[in-house]
Amino acid sequence: MSVVNNNPERRRFLSGAFMTLGLTLGLGAMGTRFMQFLMPDVTAKKSSEILLGKADELSGDGAKFFDIAGKKVALMQSGEGFTAYSRICTNLGCLVSWDNANDQFHCPCHNGIFDRNGKNISGPPPRPLDQYEVVKRGKSVYIKLDVA
Amino acid sequence: METTETKATENKTFWQKTYDMAQEEIPDHLNRFSYCLGATPLILFVILAVTGILLTFYYIPFPGQAYNSIKTITEETYLGWFIRGVHQVTVNLMVLALLLHIIRVFITRAYRDGGGLKWLLGAGLFFTVLAFGFTGYSLVYDNVSYWGMTVVTDMIRQIPVVGEPIFLLLRGGEDITELTLLRLYDLHTKLLPLLIVLLIGAHIIAIRTLGFAKITKHQGTHPFFPGHGLKMLAMTVMLLIVIVNLAAIFPPTMGEPANPLVVASDVSPPWYFSAIYRWIIIAPREAGLFSVFAFFTLFTIYPYIDRGFSDRGANMLRVNLAIGLIVAIFFATMTIWEALV
Ligand code: FES
Repeated sequence: MSVVNNNPERRRFLSGAFMTLGLTLGLGAMGTRFMQFLMPDVTAKKSSEILLGKADELSGDGAKFFDIAGKKVALMQSGEGFTAYSRICTNLGCLVSWDNANDQFHCPCHNGIFDRNGKNISGPPPRPLDQYEVVKRGKSVYIKLDVA
Repeated sequence: METTETKATENKTFWQKTYDMAQEEIPDHLNRFSYCLGATPLILFVILAVTGILLTFYYIPFPGQAYNSIKTITEETYLGWFIRGVHQVTVNLMVLALLLHIIRVFITRAYRDGGGLKWLLGAGLFFTVLAFGFTGYSLVYDNVSYWGMTVVTDMIRQIPVVGEPIFLLLRGGEDITELTLLRLYDLHTKLLPLLIVLLIGAHIIAIRTLGFAKITKHQGTHPFFPGHGLKMLAMTVMLLIVIVNLAAIFPPTMGEPANPLVVASDVSPPWYFSAIYRWIIIAPREAGLFSVFAFFTLFTIYPYIDRGFSDRGANMLRVNLAIGLIVAIFFATMTIWEALV
């Protein structure tokens, strides 16, 4: 048996490299676990139908606002049915309010404007307001939300 | 300098060594006001740490109580308004001092020595201070800070790749909840202080080992103590006088309590974020956000950009002056615009 390479420089380099690699892997694994611990669980909750009210109470001009299980909802009558929008502005997350005079949603944070169909028509918002599904059964109006 | 002393050091007592350290020669140009700006943030940091620790004895990091606890500090606790006022004024001076320091280093290209390491650490410090500013502002939990916190965390979310996880880590979920406040509080009072102490230490060590900025006009040196030490002491006294007066003239105030259902009527951020705020209102969304991220990235790696260009023979002193002017004018315009609307 002969030593293939007995260069001390090389040995020092190799042991150094292994130490660094080991340390990186070890700390990396631990760091990942710590991050996993801190990372909130955002997997989809199960969706359920929630009663908003009677159709005739809910109808009328303009948007009606609800705060259901932390979800900020704007309900809008459209013809016979209803449409529900999330009030969360698609730009950077402020809440839109309803501007009756101009028949549109307005976000005060960076002057984003959405029309009555939730379409982004002016300002920075990149896409229309998110929508929730609305179900009508007889006279009762329900909204489908993902809640815990 | 070192060669004569190296042998003698072994036999010296602790106090003699300390004395030697205090007597260390430092370049004369540090006597000039514009070159003292590095020490100013250090003094301000100590003031912030002390007042910050005092405030934690009264602050309650829970959504239902945060606002009221600050109201109590401001309006009822003996000298509470003063401690909070000093904390608030000092943050503003800190950002100002750092901006001036950055401008000076940028214009004189002082970031070149030490392979840009000092600049990287300094940029890290600057971002940490901004993070302190944002988290501290959020802790007040009045309506402006609530919606400011909403917008800023959402902005972080738009950063490519790392944005989403950082967003979730900061908020502790999709929405702003009591976890969000607790996390920002932990950042403001535990993680960021730890980070900034490490960065300050590294920044100082980098300066001591890599040397102070060298400028050609002034070649002489003088001992750190007493000359420079006294100068720093004078600076401290001056700063304290300014801070105490500002806190008395502009006592801290409070807005409406946070209301998750009603956006504050005026959500404009503190002055050092005004320019960015105005910019993302007027610029098209993607371009606006992307330019902000790009600006901070270029800022961070600037020493390496400089090296690339000066290797090709560009006159970077002129270039920097031009860039500095353009950026300063742009930021000033945006800030004034924001102040006027
Ligand atoms: S958050 Fe609505 S426009 Fe920016």
